[in-house]
Amino acid sequence: MDKKIRNIGAAVLVVLWAGLAVLSWFAPAREMSVPERRPLAQFPAVNQDTILSGRFMTDFEKFTLDQFPARDAFRTAKSLFHTYVLMQKDNNGIYIADGYAAKQEYPLNPESVDYAAARFNYVYEKYLKDTGSKVYAAVIPDKGYYLAQDSGHLAMDYQAMFARLENQMPWAAHIDLTGALNKDSYYFTDTHWRQEKLLPAAQLLCRGMGMPAPKAEDFTKTEINRPFYGVYYGQAALPMEPETLYILESERLKNCRVYDFETESYNAVYDLQKLAGKDLYEVYLSGPKSLLRMENPDAKTDRELILFRDSFGSAIAPLLVSEYKSVTLVDIRYISSAVLERYIDFSGQDVLFLYSSLVLNNANTIK
Amino acid sequence: MLFSGIPFLFYFLPVVVGVYFLLPDKLKNAWLLFSSLFFYAWGEPKYVLLMVATIGLFYGCGLAIDRCESKRWKRVWLTVSVAVSLGLLAVFKYADFFVGSFNALTGMGLPLLRLALPIGISFYTFQCLSYTIDVYRGNAAVQRNILSFGAYVSLFPQLIAGPIVRYVDVAKQLENRSHSYEAFTLGLRRFLVGLGKKVLIANQLGQLCDIFRASGEKSVVFYWMYAIAFTLHIYFDFSGYSDMAIGLGRIFGFHFPENFNYPYLSRSVAEFWRRWHISLGSWFRDYVYIPLGGNRVSRGRWIFNILVVWMLTGLWHGAAWNFVVWGLVYAVALLLEKQIPLLQKLPDILRRVYVLLVVILGFVLFNAADLSQAAADMAGLFGIGGVPLITGESVYYLRSYGLLFAAGIVGATPLIKHLAQKVEKTRIGAVLEPIVLIGLLLVCTAYLVDGSFNPFLYFRF
Repeated sequence: MDKKIRNIGAAVLVVLWAGLAVLSWFAPAREMSVPERRPLAQFPAVNQDTILSGRFMTDFEKFTLDQFPARDAFRTAKSLFHTYVLMQKDNNGIYIADGYAAKQEYPLNPESVDYAAARFNYVYEKYLKDTGSKVYAAVIPDKGYYLAQDSGHLAMDYQAMFARLENQMPWAAHIDLTGALNKDSYYFTDTHWRQEKLLPAAQLLCRGMGMPAPKAEDFTKTEINRPFYGVYYGQAALPMEPETLYILESERLKNCRVYDFETESYNAVYDLQKLAGKDLYEVYLSGPKSLLRMENPDAKTDRELILFRDSFGSAIAPLLVSEYKSVTLVDIRYISSAVLERYIDFSGQDVLFLYSSLVLNNANTIK
Repeated sequence: MLFSGIPFLFYFLPVVVGVYFLLPDKLKNAWLLFSSLFFYAWGEPKYVLLMVATIGLFYGCGLAIDRCESKRWKRVWLTVSVAVSLGLLAVFKYADFFVGSFNALTGMGLPLLRLALPIGISFYTFQCLSYTIDVYRGNAAVQRNILSFGAYVSLFPQLIAGPIVRYVDVAKQLENRSHSYEAFTLGLRRFLVGLGKKVLIANQLGQLCDIFRASGEKSVVFYWMYAIAFTLHIYFDFSGYSDMAIGLGRIFGFHFPENFNYPYLSRSVAEFWRRWHISLGSWFRDYVYIPLGGNRVSRGRWIFNILVVWMLTGLWHGAAWNFVVWGLVYAVALLLEKQIPLLQKLPDILRRVYVLLVVILGFVLFNAADLSQAAADMAGLFGIGGVPLITGESVYYLRSYGLLFAAGIVGATPLIKHLAQKVEKTRIGAVLEPIVLIGLLLVCTAYLVDGSFNPFLYFRF
């Protein structure tokens, strides 16, 4: 009897194995991984060159990993096993603390911070030094700043990062955002901060730059009726609830126009077409863009702001418009800082360098 | 192609096994040869020609040794097979080591060859050598069927990371082997156990070793965590591969020799090498140590024999000085064990601790990029050079990997095997076994699909 049970069990194992193999061979290839927000590898080209160089084999392995049947379920199973059976404190560098998925950004990479500071110095020396611009700088701490210590995870030495940057940017007035944010300022499943929680940070920045601070009553909080799964949702591959995304609307923002230097066209501050895309966060100023100019026809001053920023800047920029006639957003990860004079007339505008600690610690993309 | 890879598990293996059992017996070896060459070509498209040439060389030399009447000509053909195969090994594996050492010694700048190392060349060369030597000695009958011989040399289950299967051990099975559902399921079970050892323990501890190397906050505790993690990593990596190879062999009707027998429980270094990479140790014993005279020679010659064998054992593992020193450390330990009988009289626990210390420190040396890194690692282990005792990073990884360390330590003892043997005879065992195996397959697949850390250490040898 025991032998029979064992044989049946072995047969089930073989059938399961063979079934997965058959599905691997014959299931149609998928184009995209929605949770990971990336295209999936497709069957590689077969020719003499790719085979002899071994490229076909390498690409085929990627293809088999990406197209494996029930891949997302397997990834979730791995994450659960890793976290709750092997008791690993992070999975692929992502950990969950207080319900928040966060990337373990550790250790501080001083060379990266120095490189970022060098690029900012280049911008200052080339465009700002002799223009009379008032220059400000602020670092956006990633959520590990608020989560890691209490949850027993590793985190970079943030104070060392702030000090290092400050020392190398003596020409800027530095604004400390750490007190204006807390863990609730961030999405559970995403790297970014929540726009509806950013008023304290925006107020701090505006006051720091000598502009009227935005008030809560100036805005209406509008809910986006589509579930938002952030980038860590796909990376952690753990079961997490979708989140709600909000946009803060106002009459002033409705009147604003956003000029996109890449497409040479105007858009709204909130690009609702992006809500049909894979990353809802792109609703804020259309997502990753090299060069934008928000024009504020209701401004009561002629002051202008140039905001050097990363993706965190998209959500807060609408709150910084205030009485600025225009806010120019520059992302020097997507445009070389050497060519900015072709598009921007640097002539005494206020300038804010606003970068997240994540980008500063991995600054090789800054040009 | 890695055993612990999706292409192997779900593309290559099911097809090879399926077709194998559909074919008549007389075509099975040809299919294994074809599949094995495809398997090898997948990882080494160009070097598959070297493999085919090696098969041809040893097949021809075997025939020549058998056909020659005179002992002298037999020796000539044996010498040809040994010289050519060791020559290839010297060129592909050791040339840059020798040239680099020569340059360092003389200050000259001879150019390096920078050839890629053909995967598994050390394994299949040693297998082939066992064939011609045994045919020469009359210990094995010559193989006249080139397909069968090719299948032996290239047999994919043990082609690239062992165990080193001697021709004489599988000669009969190449001609006539039996297959059964029971052997198939036993093979499958052994394969999955090996896969679990590799994916769930070895790979995870390997990641910790990489984290340690990249860390800028090393501490004494972190150095010891690394040393123990690597010691467990290499055991589960290599013994896991051997389990998979032995399991695949069983599926195809072969009985490969065991390669590991809980080496970390050894009470002497000599015992450790009877339990660790058994097929390599016995190969060096039978084909190098004993032909040199073994221990039935003068004391000076015996010491020389020991030093030569262990220097070669070290070199077999890698073309670098740290491997040579690693081999010589074992030679010295073995000589001391022979010369200091007191060591054998110590309580078991002390003997085990002594062996573990030698093994752990040995693997630190083994895994260093070079001798200077090995020296730095040794210094770190003992807090020399201002290394702090512990840091926040060490504590984090100790907590994160604590369970894996415990699982690794328990898994390196026969405890789980004994438990499984007790349970498997019961009704619960009959039900649990397939559940555990299915769970292993699914969890290992999940890890592989997530694309985590997955190299095999012994591929580089």
